[in-house]
Amino acid sequence: MKEAEAIVFVIDDDRAIRDGIASLIRSIGLRVETFGSARHFMSAERPDAPACLILDVRMPGIGGLELQRQLSGAGIHIPIIFITGHGDIPMTVQAMKEGALEFLTKPVRGQDLLEAVQKAIERDRTLRKERAELAAIRARFDSLTPRETEVLHLVVAGLLNKQIADELGTSELTVKTHRAHVMEKTEAESLAHLVRMSERLKNSLRK
Amino acid sequence: MSRYAIAIAFTSVALMLSIALQEPFGNPFWFFFAIAVIASTWICGRGPGWLAVGFSSIAVLYFFIPPYRAWNVKPRDIPFFFTFVLCQVVANWLISWRRKTEEALRRGRDELEIRVAERTLELKNANDALVNQMAEQRRTEEALQVTRTELARVSRITTVGELTASIAHEVNQPLAAVVANADACVAWLSRDVPDLVEARAAAERATHGATRASEVIVRIRSLINKSTPEKAQVQINRIIEETAALTSRQAATNGVALSLELAPDLPTVLGDSIQLQQVILNLMMNGIEAMSGVADRPRRLTIRSGAQESQQVLVSVQDSGVGVSVENMPRLFEPFFTTRTKGMGMGLPISRSIIEAHGGRLWAESDGTHGTTFQFTLPRADGAAG
Repeated sequence: MKEAEAIVFVIDDDRAIRDGIASLIRSIGLRVETFGSARHFMSAERPDAPACLILDVRMPGIGGLELQRQLSGAGIHIPIIFITGHGDIPMTVQAMKEGALEFLTKPVRGQDLLEAVQKAIERDRTLRKERAELAAIRARFDSLTPRETEVLHLVVAGLLNKQIADELGTSELTVKTHRAHVMEKTEAESLAHLVRMSERLKNSLRK
Repeated sequence: MSRYAIAIAFTSVALMLSIALQEPFGNPFWFFFAIAVIASTWICGRGPGWLAVGFSSIAVLYFFIPPYRAWNVKPRDIPFFFTFVLCQVVANWLISWRRKTEEALRRGRDELEIRVAERTLELKNANDALVNQMAEQRRTEEALQVTRTELARVSRITTVGELTASIAHEVNQPLAAVVANADACVAWLSRDVPDLVEARAAAERATHGATRASEVIVRIRSLINKSTPEKAQVQINRIIEETAALTSRQAATNGVALSLELAPDLPTVLGDSIQLQQVILNLMMNGIEAMSGVADRPRRLTIRSGAQESQQVLVSVQDSGVGVSVENMPRLFEPFFTTRTKGMGMGLPISRSIIEAHGGRLWAESDGTHGTTFQFTLPRADGAAG
């Protein structure tokens, strides 16, 4: 499946800046959508594609930092490039803690902005790929029967078939069959692969 | 002493004349002596007069009472001699009395002249002092005017200073647009196939942004620099709109909704646009400040303009802030009265003096809890004569 075309969202209450940034980004062949306020952006439909957000910190109504909180609260993870008139350190730190990618001060040099945008889209692309992979793994793992899930946990914990059979009070042969099903359903190429996938899932849940 | 010598001289002359004339004409002696006594008394005063009387009496006794040139007197000549002496004494007394009176008169006249001169001098001094005082007063008034103008300017600068963050943003914003659009323009031109339509659009936006930045700077500079008031025909609505543009960012940052309800086709007023802008700026900043603690209702700043029937233009600035308490109300326009932690307390008195200098009136109304309305009137330019 060919990946959807990347898109850059620009949110700034100043139309001249919005248009300038949009024009700059279009000039390198990226898709751009502009919004005059955070509210408009939130209510707009967003295509499923690698994206990044260029966001003015100081806006009437919902400010940039507030929008960042709302997005992350809603589970929307778009890399954000903040633009600010005068970024003070506490504000920058807070934004970075919340996962902002860049903090650029106005007036922004075109080259800096374009580099940041490309970095952000690259990062979103990677994140999206990871999320997709993770989703696929979870789907495969979710397809296991409860018994198979039990066997999976014991296998990953490093137990031998005989030990697993003792643990579950069943025969070694039955364990072997479950184990083969597990390997097949999770599309694991080896025991090591299975362990890695299982770890990734666990890590993502812990996050 | 010389006066006595003169008296002796007069009497001696009388004596010599009498002796010289004694041979041919008999005894005309006493006429000359009378003249000598009168002249001595008249010219030299009473003392010398007495001397002349004494001297001539002795001379008469010796030379002219028979027997001549001898001291003895015949009894029949005694009354004559005493009559002579008495006449001399009376002449002396009369003349000296007359002289005294004249002297008193002269002294009186002299004193009067001196007094008049003194009075004239006093009057002149008083007049000079008055002239000085008036010049001093004029200088003081001029200095006061300069001070007032300077104070108004300082207050403008202070207000502008409070707006610094807003103004920095106000200037930086169009500059950011300029940079973004200029970069975009270059990017469109640097493509393998330059896109001139996009490049041109970006360049035009850049130009527009630069113009916007320069307009902001012109507004700020005129607000800070100009010190001598200049009156001209002014559209009050335009001033309100410009001032609102300056404060819009400040209002947005403070969560204040700014609304303008301006009457169309307002007559022009005669005034100094910078000073009027300062008044509106003061009132708007006060309103925004007054609402900083308001959380239970919308923060709303409404500026209205309208025409009043009596040749006046009315402007009001209404906030939904904490209001002004009844006890603070009368002190609102006093210099250095402020309820704000920062702020000189000069904004309102200066605003009022500006409006009054324009022939208008500035006052406040508040219900003490839910906001304040500041209003001012200005005479319309065409009705200014009436």
